[in-house]
Amino acid sequence: MQQTQAVEHEAGTAAPAPAPRLGRAIVLTSGKGGVGKTTTTANLGTALASRGVKVVLVDADIGLRNLDILLGLESRVKHHLLDVLEERASLDDALVPSKYGDTLFLLAAAQSREKDDVETEKMKALIAGLRERFDYVLIDCPAGIELGFKNAVAGADEAIVVCTPEVSAVRDVDRVVGLLGNRFRPQLVINRLRPALVRKGKMLSVDDVNAILRLPLLGVIADEPDIIVTTNRGEPLALRRENPTGAAYHAIAARIAGEDVPVPMPPLSKPSFLERMSSLFGGKRA
Amino acid sequence: MTPRKIVVTSGKGGVGKTTTTANLGATLAKRGKRVILIDADIGLRNLDLVLGLEKRIVFDLVEVAEGRCQLRQALIKDKRFESLSILPAAQTREKDAITTEQFSSIVDLAAQQADYVLIDCPAGIEHGFRNAVAGASEAIVVTTPEVSAIRDADRVVGKISQERKPIRLIVNRLRPEMVRSGDMLSVDDVCDVLSVELLGVVPDDEEVIDTTNRGEPIVLDETSRLRTIYDKIARRLEGEMVPFTNFDGTSLFGRLLDALKVG
Repeated sequence: MQQTQAVEHEAGTAAPAPAPRLGRAIVLTSGKGGVGKTTTTANLGTALASRGVKVVLVDADIGLRNLDILLGLESRVKHHLLDVLEERASLDDALVPSKYGDTLFLLAAAQSREKDDVETEKMKALIAGLRERFDYVLIDCPAGIELGFKNAVAGADEAIVVCTPEVSAVRDVDRVVGLLGNRFRPQLVINRLRPALVRKGKMLSVDDVNAILRLPLLGVIADEPDIIVTTNRGEPLALRRENPTGAAYHAIAARIAGEDVPVPMPPLSKPSFLERMSSLFGGKRA
Repeated sequence: MTPRKIVVTSGKGGVGKTTTTANLGATLAKRGKRVILIDADIGLRNLDLVLGLEKRIVFDLVEVAEGRCQLRQALIKDKRFESLSILPAAQTREKDAITTEQFSSIVDLAAQQADYVLIDCPAGIEHGFRNAVAGASEAIVVTTPEVSAIRDADRVVGKISQERKPIRLIVNRLRPEMVRSGDMLSVDDVCDVLSVELLGVVPDDEEVIDTTNRGEPIVLDETSRLRTIYDKIARRLEGEMVPFTNFDGTSLFGRLLDALKVG
């Protein structure tokens, strides 16, 4: 829609300066903590930026920032979000260029401040300003549903909810979808699925989760130790396209960009050697 | 004994606060202590689910605070244990529905009828965190051996230290094989950063996902090695000197030993 407007402006010769094409502001949220909001933000940002579009990742978790660590940028942060909101630094000074692409930037959260130091209106204005400069503004929301959540959501026009296949996470996401209200049509990323556990009936399946949430499914990411390693090293897994999880993030990015690619799914139908052996002997492992 | 009022907190979410609260509470109750667990995560409650008590909720924390019911009416007794009850959080309210004073007086009221009051703190460091910490006289900080979780725990330790409340640490979801391959921080690494007294180390166990979904704390499973681990943590909490299991062994022999030993 925004694109059409810009084209229309160009058509009229006496028209005012064409309105800039606004980027998309997407908040990544979940209610429950530790389900992978920050990991998803870092990886989707990396995958989107590899498509050549301009991406800024905004860490809205004032006081408990982590996005800088996941991008390996913790030593390069000079100014943070509150410095910009309180006009101690310009946006240009605060944006940290990524190590992994010319079009990816980080706006870090303040570490020694509190969530209620942020004024919601200023946060909205900041995101609006970023949308004029970037194609994608991904906002990494803090856990919970307090002021930090409200501020993170305020400037966004789209939402991605991240959920793990656990009853507690599903319940929290359900609550967050309610709180997001009608302004959003949230899309779902199911994170940390363990196909082996799903097969054994010890973990909720994608269908189980979405029978409750009933949201458009953007992607499913498998649980694997690689994520912990890349997180600790500050190298998003999306840098490795040959890795199945890295590839899944690229597929989700393509879907966000509007490409008609299938929802990435970890292979569910591949039983382990041990499971095959036990089924050979007619035993179903409890 | 003087009742203990302990907040279980972490900063980062999803590191296992609620699982720790439920299992430690259940273990203390099995050891004959009177235990009340308070879910301080108003709006995102989960302690009831982890203990499988969600269908038995009648009243909640906010209703007690507002004087709409008595504390004893809101407490749900877990019938699998002699003396374990939970006070559920409200689900459709906000954290600021309750003041710090109200929360502290409910904790004090609970402490009059319990040996241990464990407070399951919400993630983050906002109003809900401040309430949960204000009501407690000591803290258990839960962290996983990940850089981001440790950074958040460090921030929380700083905030609680300002209130001069004793803090002890549980390192949760340790994967010994990843520590050995150098892909995960060791318990020593974590303790070096946080400089907090270690209360326990809980290895990662995929059974926890299943038991949580089913509402049965893993300490009920007689065959689980975590049962022994939580028992050791409970004994340390009670002041006993209990040696720690070393999960950081490097040799093949150590690895074999890890696979065999419990606790």
